[in-house]
Amino acid sequence: MTETTTCAAPHPAALMYADEVRAGTLSRREFLTRATALGVSIPAAYGLIGLPAPAAAQEGPTPQPGGTLRMQMELRPTKDPRTWDWSEHANFCRGWLDYMVEYQKDGSLRGMLLESWEANEDATVWTLNLRRGVKWNNGDDFTAEDVVHNLRRWCDGTAEGNSMAARFDVLRDVEGTNQMREDAVEVVDDHTVRLHASAPDIALVVNMADYPAAVVHRSYNGEDPAANPIGTGAWLPEVNEVGVRQVLVRNPDHVWWGTEVYGGPWLDRIEYIDYGTDPAATLAAAESGEIDATYQTTGDFIDIFDSIGWEKSEAVTAATLAVRFHQAAEPYDDVRVRNAIQLAVDNNVVLELGYNGLGEVAENHHVCPIHPEYAPGINEPPDPAAARALMEEAGHADTEFELISLDDSWQAATCDAVAAQMRDAGFTVRRTVLPGSTFWNDWTKYPFSATEWNMRPLGVQILNLAYKSGVAWNETAFSNAEFDALLAEANAIADADARREVMARLQQIMLDEGVLIQPYWRSLYRHVRPGVHGADKHPTFEHHHYKWWMES
Amino acid sequence: MARFILVRIATMLVTALCLTFIVFWLTNIGPNLEKIARSEAGSRISDAEVASWLERNGYAEPVLLRYAQWLGVAPGWTRQEADGTWRGRCLGPGETPEEAPAFCGVLQGDWGFSRVFRRDVSEVILRGLALTGALMGWVMLVMVPGALLVGIVAGMREGSRTDRVLSTGAILTTATPEYVSGVVFIAVFSSSAVGLRWFNGSATSAMDAITFQNFTLPVMTIALYGMGYIARMTRASMAEVMTSQYIRTARLKGVSFGAVVLRHALRNALIAPFTVIMLQFPWLLTGVVIVETLFNYKGFGWTLVEAAGNNDIDLLLAVSVVSVIVVLLTQLISDIGYALLNPRIRLS
Amino acid sequence: MEPLTWTGPLGDWLDPLLLAAAGLFGLSLVLRLLAGLVPAPAPEAVVHPDGTLGLRGGSRTTPQAWALLASRATGALVLATLAAYLVGGLLLPYGEAGIVGAMIRRFLPVWVALGATLALSFAFRRRLGLYGRIFDSPVGTTGFVLVMFWVYTAIFAGVFGWIATHDPLAAVSGMKNRPPGEPLPAATDWMAGAHYLLGGDNLARDVFSRMVMGSWTVVQIAPLATLFAFMVGITLGLPAGYRGGWLDTALSFLANLILAFPVILLFYLLVTPEVVRTGLPTWMAAAMFLAPILFVAVLLWSRFRTDPARAVPLIAAVVAAMGWVYLSFISQPGTPLDFMGRLDLFDVPPGVLVVFVAVVFVNAPTVFRIVRGLTMDIKSRDYVAAAQTRGEGPWYIMLWEILPNVRGPLIVDFCLRIGYTTILLGALGFFGLGLPPDSPDWGSTINAGRQLLSIFPHPAVVPAVALLTLVLGLNLLADGLREESLRD
Repeated sequence: MTETTTCAAPHPAALMYADEVRAGTLSRREFLTRATALGVSIPAAYGLIGLPAPAAAQEGPTPQPGGTLRMQMELRPTKDPRTWDWSEHANFCRGWLDYMVEYQKDGSLRGMLLESWEANEDATVWTLNLRRGVKWNNGDDFTAEDVVHNLRRWCDGTAEGNSMAARFDVLRDVEGTNQMREDAVEVVDDHTVRLHASAPDIALVVNMADYPAAVVHRSYNGEDPAANPIGTGAWLPEVNEVGVRQVLVRNPDHVWWGTEVYGGPWLDRIEYIDYGTDPAATLAAAESGEIDATYQTTGDFIDIFDSIGWEKSEAVTAATLAVRFHQAAEPYDDVRVRNAIQLAVDNNVVLELGYNGLGEVAENHHVCPIHPEYAPGINEPPDPAAARALMEEAGHADTEFELISLDDSWQAATCDAVAAQMRDAGFTVRRTVLPGSTFWNDWTKYPFSATEWNMRPLGVQILNLAYKSGVAWNETAFSNAEFDALLAEANAIADADARREVMARLQQIMLDEGVLIQPYWRSLYRHVRPGVHGADKHPTFEHHHYKWWMES
Repeated sequence: MARFILVRIATMLVTALCLTFIVFWLTNIGPNLEKIARSEAGSRISDAEVASWLERNGYAEPVLLRYAQWLGVAPGWTRQEADGTWRGRCLGPGETPEEAPAFCGVLQGDWGFSRVFRRDVSEVILRGLALTGALMGWVMLVMVPGALLVGIVAGMREGSRTDRVLSTGAILTTATPEYVSGVVFIAVFSSSAVGLRWFNGSATSAMDAITFQNFTLPVMTIALYGMGYIARMTRASMAEVMTSQYIRTARLKGVSFGAVVLRHALRNALIAPFTVIMLQFPWLLTGVVIVETLFNYKGFGWTLVEAAGNNDIDLLLAVSVVSVIVVLLTQLISDIGYALLNPRIRLS
Repeated sequence: MEPLTWTGPLGDWLDPLLLAAAGLFGLSLVLRLLAGLVPAPAPEAVVHPDGTLGLRGGSRTTPQAWALLASRATGALVLATLAAYLVGGLLLPYGEAGIVGAMIRRFLPVWVALGATLALSFAFRRRLGLYGRIFDSPVGTTGFVLVMFWVYTAIFAGVFGWIATHDPLAAVSGMKNRPPGEPLPAATDWMAGAHYLLGGDNLARDVFSRMVMGSWTVVQIAPLATLFAFMVGITLGLPAGYRGGWLDTALSFLANLILAFPVILLFYLLVTPEVVRTGLPTWMAAAMFLAPILFVAVLLWSRFRTDPARAVPLIAAVVAAMGWVYLSFISQPGTPLDFMGRLDLFDVPPGVLVVFVAVVFVNAPTVFRIVRGLTMDIKSRDYVAAAQTRGEGPWYIMLWEILPNVRGPLIVDFCLRIGYTTILLGALGFFGLGLPPDSPDWGSTINAGRQLLSIFPHPAVVPAVALLTLVLGLNLLADGLREESLRD
């Protein structure tokens, strides 16, 4: 690859970041996330910090075409992409649905259906340049019309369960129609679309990499995407048996646009097999030779899979378990109760018991050190005695707290560890474990429960999604005017250092208000049978099928 | 005989009717319907949206009426949307009530649609039954001869050392539930930690092709638990027969011990175990559920767990109908067989 | 601090001895088997000098006899070595006899109680009826010892808090999945509680203490639930069998209806949170737990109805006392039935009541069928006819004439059914239904431990062995009882 890219002059902020990398105040990974989010192409981004771009073909052995890869995964019913609430939904449909942009394992953002994109200085006007020559598998060309159709669908706040709407507030008429503002999207030509945001939003394009943002055909209207699989991708669904098996096969009648851009796809067939939530069943399947790769390996099973000779890939992430309080529910409406429980729990112990120490200790404010705008040093050391005193002051010393969790092994273990710490501080705790089918019905309503959160590349993204007043996924009922105002301010600051000052205050508010116990940041792991390549664990659970190949 | 069978079949139908109504009622109580609405329309919808979703999808009608619709004795609900399209129980996408049949229930052969698996219930049930049939077939093949052999050998000479050892073994297997023996089998025979790796600890691949490797452990796990019980019944029956007058007479006539056992004792001793084996079928269902879940074999038991866990109403109803039929049919066969084998009993 | 080995310094010389004895015992068994293949010389008939006939041969000289002698001797040696472990564990200081010794010492109250029970029962077994005759059969005695071991363990641990070394819910950092005999990080003295005797589980809790405390949960729920099932089954089964007619038809149909349900489906329908929220199980509890009160009231009334002056106050007192317990039992905060307020004697933990109801509901129809069958069998007997001629009421005949005469099979079935209920509770734990997940009961702990079984077997194997021995004990006891009651 050469330095000639389609991107015009790099965004000024990107140049600034590059200086920071050279000065050593910014890590390479963070730089890649931030620079590519602003529209700097990956080779150009590497170029800015004086490094050659890594080329896939140069790493390791040459990929071999052909073969069937079998992976364990929980298989859920296919439904409208914008309502997806599980990465698993997306991973099956990624076979035939592509994305505008794709988040890479190294933290950079790469264009897929977008060839490139640029933002103006204050990140309010974004120009999207569509990739030329992309065809849908029904023969249509991929054009601006498709992009507008998708944007309109994402911005529809009236659709039940559409989580994309909250991500595109700057393109929506939030107060009025709850739909996309017609003046927000300008079609320049068939392959250029310009977005006019109502407020600065640095995460606009990054949000298009999120898993519910699969790009659908302009004729798509919310039906089961696997029933009539029109997409730009290289595979087609063959079997779609929920809870049993989902199979993707190479589409022989379709020339995938990505072959000449990235290379691949290699595999003829990808089979997803459901083994339930019990990792022991997955292990048994691996030892029986029924699968070639795990979806995710957790807890004690990481060592076990290592010991049977499977190859491990690791992704350091900002994924976590949020043991959160619902602030509208008794007795958690009292901030002293929340703070007392926070004080009672030593996150180090929770990490050790709940996740085998495979991660980093977190600080109860849901902003991760790998986020560019993370402000260090904002934490509160555990103090069981003070916790007890505070709880007595709140008058809840004898109250029984019920901690609800999913029956997933590491989540249940983590909550058991939290409960044990609370008991050590002298509180009464009852544990309830619910199966997934029951748990997710009311996940935003439980008074005290644990929710798994995947990582988002930027710290503000997660705060926007989960802690802003009144948003769909706000499960804590946290509503704080000062917090909302500061968050809006942070959303407009493209420079991470400047944003960090606001972030420090946001983190402090999260901590003072006792919003949640957020014990650790998980590292994610996947194991593959020796001979499987390219299927490394991705920090946001994405499956990039076209990179996968197997030795025959 | 014909009258007896007719009465039994009538009872069976009434039982199935009552049971399905109970299941229907339990799966349709308020919180369960709310759960369905939330899992279908999104977990974050408001209570008003839940109510309107239930209304729009025909869940708001009285339970009895909807049960009648499920049975196919009342016409399926229909509803015209604001945009003029029709929705209804019997309507396909885009159909109007005139085009579709008025009734579509079990009586018309329509078992409904599985919410979880997104396909027709009959299809899901048939797939599950075929897989479980294979499993049960092998279990019976292993369990019945084994149990009978153990029981006969033990009961042949009651009180002997062989009897003591075999009986204790039989008690031990009945005291070992499937979830203990299955777990131990997986650990010992299939894990790399112990290192034997003789068999597969997962039976998922057996759904496509049964091999000795992938099917031994699930079959053994169920067979072992049931074996002890049948063996003990056979032993008791055998021991009773061996002390009876005609066996003594035969022995005194000088017939050898082996010949007495084979020619005279066996037939009478097998009547009681036959009943037990037939009655085992429904009892084994619990074992099947556990083993299919443990070994991830997606048969009928696994389908039951998924349907119940997700409150998949149509599927759950079909599952209960099938299991009721299995239970009652085996009872019927056991009664008839008992009468045929035992000349002293006459059905009346 | 040093970890404990299995048998400690005592084992240094006892272990080889045990190994040798066991090896010899095994060898002698093989020899016996081989000797059995050699045909024994048929005993010859001889005429003694006094003119009587006798048999010669057999006994002392054959290889069979020698093999028998050898196996008896080595078997005794094995038993003696095992007894030495027991005595050593009790007498030697902590740690000298290793994990086994430490555990044996923790169980000291159980040994004392068990010894006393056995000695007393054995001494008076001729006056104790069916119970005393258990001790005539080695099978029954073994079963009785196993069952009583767990019953005493449960009582001493659950009521007095004696045997367990740690809190079954407390996690100690650093002890996650540690092997048996591992010392606690903070321990300094050689004393009870310094080690996790059977290791730590996945959440760094003491496996030994959880197993011991789990027995309390199991011993509370399983027999009580079975007892309730029997009360319900008997209350309905006696009139159905005795009266017959439409009552019998209706009740039998109902029983068959419940029996036609697969147990697991029934549990899913009753125990899921949605159904629990509607309060259905609570209402079922309210209905079903009336049966014992009804049962006792009718029992007393049928006996004392000729003497109302005594009967009325007696029945009133008993019903009032049982009624209070009943109301406390069904009234739970947080359920639709919450009316007792201050008068509530105790609260059953949530989840337990639901499981309890479900288990009773599943078991009662089977008991009903057994009672009904036995009653139909026995109602044509002479003594029933005699009572009818005497002019006794139907309830008197059912409860005081028929019931005592069917107690044998019922007691046998009761033992078997407790075992079955224990297994059922475990199965519920396997599906995540029922008891709270951190409950130390055996079913839940087996389920929690099975995931890592291939690497850390101890957290699952310990409760599995416990469950196995209890169920085995109950089965053996039932077998012994059946044998003895058949001799009537």
